[in-house]
Amino acid sequence: MSTHIVPRHGKSFKERWYLSALWVGFRTTFGHFWRNILNTNAIDVLEYPEVMPNDITARYRGHHRLTHRDDGSIACVACFMCATNCPAQCITIEAQARIDGIDEKEPRRFEIDLLECIFCGYCVEACPCDAIRMDTNIFSMVGNARSDFIRTKEQLLATQGAYAPTHSQAKGAHT
Amino acid sequence: MQTMMTLLPIVLMVLYSLAMIPGLIWMERRIASMVQNRLGPNRCNIKGFRLGGVVQSAADVMKLIFKEEFYPAHVKNRTLYIIAPSIVFIAAFLMFAVIPFADVITLDHIYGMQALPIDLGILWYVALAGLGLYGIILAGWASHSKYGILSAMRASAQMLSYEISMGLAIVAMVITYDSVAFNDAVHFQAQTIWGFLPAWGIVIQPVAALIFIVTAFAETNRAPFDVAEGESELVAGYHTEYSAMKFALFFMAEYVAMTASSAVIVTLFLGGYNLPYLATQEMLEHPVGILVGTMVALGVLYGLFIYWIRTNISRAIVEDLERARERKVLTVLFVSMLILSELFLLYWLVVGTTPTLMAWLVLALQLSIFTLKFFAVIIFFILVRWTFMRFRYDQIQHLGWYILLPLALLNLLITALVVVL
Repeated sequence: MSTHIVPRHGKSFKERWYLSALWVGFRTTFGHFWRNILNTNAIDVLEYPEVMPNDITARYRGHHRLTHRDDGSIACVACFMCATNCPAQCITIEAQARIDGIDEKEPRRFEIDLLECIFCGYCVEACPCDAIRMDTNIFSMVGNARSDFIRTKEQLLATQGAYAPTHSQAKGAHT
Repeated sequence: MQTMMTLLPIVLMVLYSLAMIPGLIWMERRIASMVQNRLGPNRCNIKGFRLGGVVQSAADVMKLIFKEEFYPAHVKNRTLYIIAPSIVFIAAFLMFAVIPFADVITLDHIYGMQALPIDLGILWYVALAGLGLYGIILAGWASHSKYGILSAMRASAQMLSYEISMGLAIVAMVITYDSVAFNDAVHFQAQTIWGFLPAWGIVIQPVAALIFIVTAFAETNRAPFDVAEGESELVAGYHTEYSAMKFALFFMAEYVAMTASSAVIVTLFLGGYNLPYLATQEMLEHPVGILVGTMVALGVLYGLFIYWIRTNISRAIVEDLERARERKVLTVLFVSMLILSELFLLYWLVVGTTPTLMAWLVLALQLSIFTLKFFAVIIFFILVRWTFMRFRYDQIQHLGWYILLPLALLNLLITALVVVL
């Protein structure tokens, strides 16, 4: 069994004499400052409102949406799994009987309070029907009143996914 | 004339301390971002004019002024609670009163270029730097909060241990300059040693300069000596319970103290308002040289600045007409300013100068030299903040009592021996 000896720093006379170490640090910060002020265009930052980020991954958890079945009707069966699993308790569901014969239940009301939501993605994990997703890549949500941040069923259904429809279409366990 | 010449240094003092604050906050934020490879605040604009982000500071000022005056319910003594930030701010502001911004100007009388016509000099600075601490202690006490009181204790302990070293370093400088007045110090520094080295304080007294700069950082409660507002431990320290303009007074006091310390460092150690090898009398006696030198210096500085604007003000965004327009307007503005001032100087060069005109010209030159040095030291202050880590409390005491104090005493002893022998 070999022993790995880790060298300890800070005990030599030069290091205990602070000033040389301070000088090294000062050279680094001033070097960055000088290089950047001579050519501000070379600083690698995103000019955000004009240029949008293009490196959002497929796993990014953005604004929620409710998915559709192949026939275009709502995929949600109002099983309350997402609302039960939600740690922030931001999902409000009211169920009603589904009369078009496709399924037994559907939500009459499905609301997400974005101000309560912590974007953990547990609702997506919990959903047995792949009816709720967070694959929209929408990261900026603004409003003038608190009521603007409560997303209704219609809004959530109208929100488009960021990826191809074949990929994002609900397979529909019940169809 | 007399009234005007008495008011001029006071106006300068207000300009250098109060009017500088928004600019300094902007400088601090932009330099911090440059050090960290970011851009910093550059979005705020008035009709498309961003001025590199200075507009953001104006917006911040407006926000602080119009914020609600809020008094926490647990503050029992409201008078002391309100007085505390005022004391900090007034002490910091008055530090500026004895800084000579330029040499004395001889018109119909001899006028000094410091706001208070007193020769207390460095003693005034030390007195007021100590006084600002009372405001901090009072704020900690009156805000009736454990964070405030802990921060006040830290600040006072730190101030005690550093004020002694600072005083000893200053005594060494006073022995060297043979005077406490700042003007005499600057005149001393206009000399040369061995015929070629400028006799700046930092050259003839490097140890005292080092001690003074370190203690000045501690005195202004800036990084790396800002344990008094160590946000990881004390929320915001002594101004935890303060909001709106009362907080802004603390914030402004920090920056005014920083500018005052920079001015003192410039005056005591970096030759003040003089360039090396160019004392006031020599400047007055060589009008042609001064005029030509100023013209060349103006051309070079303006040229570099305009070139920098042309190459840097706009980042590569397609169809950003607002920024292109701002770049155009700024270029025209600066080029016309340059041409105008060069024409004035050329006119005087051709027609010839009067002694009064030369006195004013030298005053303007010395003011700009002082300002350049002043900003260099302020940039140093800001860079230090983003370079050095905050000292732990025991490290601060160790540095103050075991290293700086013996060093200052030794330096004082050697200085006294050299001067006496």
